Amino acid sequence: MVHQHFMLVPVFTVAENVVLGFEPTKSFNRLDYKTADAQIHELSEKFGLQVDPRAVVENLPIGLQQRVEILKALSHDAELLILDEPTAVLTPQEIDALMEIMRSLARDGKSILFITHKLKEVRAVADVITIIRQGRVIDSVPPSETENQLAALMVGREVNLTVNKESTELGEPVLEIRDVVVRDDRGLAVVNGVTLDVHAGEIVALAGVQGNGQTELAEAISGLRPIESGTITLRGRDITNHSPRAILDAGLGHVPEDRQRDGLVLSMSVADNLVLNTPRRAPFASRGTRNLKAVSVNATDLVQRFDIRTTGIDATAGSLSGGNQQKVIVARELSRPLTCLLASQPTRGLDVGSIEYVHRQIVNERNQGMGVFIISSELDEVVALGDRIAVMHAGKITGIVDPSTSREDIGLLMAGSTMGAHD
Amino acid sequence: MEFVSTTLAALAEADLVLEVRAPVGRRRAIGALTVLLGLFIVVAFGFGSISGAHSQFTFTPVNTSSGAPWSLGALTVLTRWWNVALGLITVAIGAETWWRRPAGALARFGVGGIIFFFTLLLWAGRQPGPDQTSSINLTSVLIGSSAIAMVLIYGSLSGVLCERSGVVNIAIEGQFIGGALAGAMVDSVTNSFWLAALVGILIGGLIGWLLALLAVRYIADQIIIGVVIVTLLGAMSSYLNIQVLAPYPNLNVGNNPSNVAIPLLYKIPILGPVLFNQNMFFYAAIVLVALVSFGLFRTRWGLRVRSVGEHPKAAESVGINVARVRYTTVILGGAVAGLGGVAFIAVQGQFQPGITSGFGYIALAAMIFGKWKPSGAVVASILFGVSAYLVDALQSYSTPIPTELLQMFPYLITIAVVAGLIGRVRAPASDGVPYKRD
Repeated sequence: MVHQHFMLVPVFTVAENVVLGFEPTKSFNRLDYKTADAQIHELSEKFGLQVDPRAVVENLPIGLQQRVEILKALSHDAELLILDEPTAVLTPQEIDALMEIMRSLARDGKSILFITHKLKEVRAVADVITIIRQGRVIDSVPPSETENQLAALMVGREVNLTVNKESTELGEPVLEIRDVVVRDDRGLAVVNGVTLDVHAGEIVALAGVQGNGQTELAEAISGLRPIESGTITLRGRDITNHSPRAILDAGLGHVPEDRQRDGLVLSMSVADNLVLNTPRRAPFASRGTRNLKAVSVNATDLVQRFDIRTTGIDATAGSLSGGNQQKVIVARELSRPLTCLLASQPTRGLDVGSIEYVHRQIVNERNQGMGVFIISSELDEVVALGDRIAVMHAGKITGIVDPSTSREDIGLLMAGSTMGAHD
Repeated sequence: MEFVSTTLAALAEADLVLEVRAPVGRRRAIGALTVLLGLFIVVAFGFGSISGAHSQFTFTPVNTSSGAPWSLGALTVLTRWWNVALGLITVAIGAETWWRRPAGALARFGVGGIIFFFTLLLWAGRQPGPDQTSSINLTSVLIGSSAIAMVLIYGSLSGVLCERSGVVNIAIEGQFIGGALAGAMVDSVTNSFWLAALVGILIGGLIGWLLALLAVRYIADQIIIGVVIVTLLGAMSSYLNIQVLAPYPNLNVGNNPSNVAIPLLYKIPILGPVLFNQNMFFYAAIVLVALVSFGLFRTRWGLRVRSVGEHPKAAESVGINVARVRYTTVILGGAVAGLGGVAFIAVQGQFQPGITSGFGYIALAAMIFGKWKPSGAVVASILFGVSAYLVDALQSYSTPIPTELLQMFPYLITIAVVAGLIGRVRAPASDGVPYKRD
């Protein structure tokens, strides 16, 4: 089993991680590192998965960490390998490498169960594709099936996978990020001099492998993380290091990356969550007292307009499905006049139907002249939505390209190369 | 495979850039602080003493029954210039820390702190002329410090064990109290510190088991139950003291274990009496440090304990029983702290309520100071022990700062360390995080 979230101890070496639970020992229970290294070399040789047994896992790039996970599974003589969303954290090139590994393992007689929501990937590598919806097996089909057919099976109705965008007039810059430096919790400068503009009426999509500073950049824009140097302005107004409330009031809509942790209060009702960013404001409150009537009118209206599937506006946000939770956030953010929408991983973990819906809403806003800044580690999403694509690696923008740029070139930018095509 | 190496190279480069910039500020600040401390020593304790003042050192242990054959004479020095020299050494240490930003910045600051107390002692003990009526016995200072350091080593080793497995043991203080009380009674009755040690280990282990039961089985907040256990033991010891120890004083006679001199080595001047003519608890502490260090970092058991403390889910996914590992390590840690409680009695003699005076918490700070490593815990325990002893020794002199204030110093440092004010070092990733199977 290779888990979506790696089951590796970051401060241990590759060898320690692979042998954990099945450690070779010498007298007095001492660990036998020589034998462990030899075991790993043997596995590496056998399956063509090269990795240094003495390297500390946290210092390895994600792609190699995953290789360690696979080695660990193989070291237990696994015949069936379960890979749970293994590609979410990889660059396109690393995904290609993983596919190659999967094919070669299959050739060696191993069985592989590959769980993913990425239609391109299943079609590229699978021998049989099984679709599950709401805990039931819907169908098993050959990989010759088209993406649209697969999507329809996943959702249960026809889905339009391509995002339709008509071209719009490019307006004034609404969000201007200048030389911004932000540190993470460990004090590392994970955003290291980012400069970027988002104009009214355009979608700028920020691509990049997870953990290259995108999260911290989003937190800095929305006021959740201090900016060490540089400035951020919203329609000409300086919002650098302003409080989150001041920034929201200045006209920034924010769809946070982790909807359950940062986007909603799961134990509160849908209605309350829908006014979470304006609870003290008329008509929802006056003189320090909430106006529950207005809150519920607002909720009823938004639930209908945004097609939020809930048992009622008093149901807790935690009782909703992921897609509907995301709709609550989108409804809340879009129900007030905005200058710019910042959406981090807006469709993470959503089903194809909900993705389609969220994408349509985002494009609508852009068509009405809002500036939209999308941060996503899904290359498909970035290419589908972005009018311009900025690629971030190790805290810097490695390139700003047109969505027609080839995936290979974007992938190279994601891996830190700045040699890719520039427009 | 070319892209893999490209990616690797790019990431390695990025890492390097980030790494160099990271903890630099903190280390610089610690260096600057040490320089200031050194300058203060030069000005206040150096030039603050009149030019003719002298201080005197002696080296022969007060208790000469051990018969150290080397008798070193007294050394009388000019207070001003010794303190100026020691202050300048502190400045140099600080400058080096500022300049090179070494990983051991904190330890260097600790050395600066010890020099501070030492020079304060020299200054406080100075007399106007070269004729001296009182002196500072350096060997006694080291022996006294080693006693405090020993107790802290037991406590911080207990902390290292528990926290490496992911359970915060704030109850060390409680395990000290339990071990001390039981140790005093058992030794008084049986006149055997071996039996006292055994009972202390059992009592400490029992308290550890209680902590594990609540923390691992019932997933209670580890900090709260730890504090509650300390409070419980504190109250219980007061009660037993009034109800049992006071009416039956022969249950609390206050023996000291005899010292065991290690042949030849104990004759080394200064170091001999400090390191090689000690009681069994001192030697046991040294053996324990080696054992815990070996166990945690060289054996299969240790690898599993650490994996449980870092990433319990990963450990569970390869068939390691997270709950069982945590139970056994916390009980073991409790036993170590319980033995530390008996060591306390071996040093202090009679049991009194409040005898441990927060040393369990200071031990916890020593553990953090020592970066959750047995070797680091030893270094930190020595630093804390020496400064605590020097502060104590100052009580017999008149100092411009009330000694009561100086005695707050170890606790202030404890607060600063525990709150992460002087630089956070990395704890085990799942330290204090209860593990729930799903």
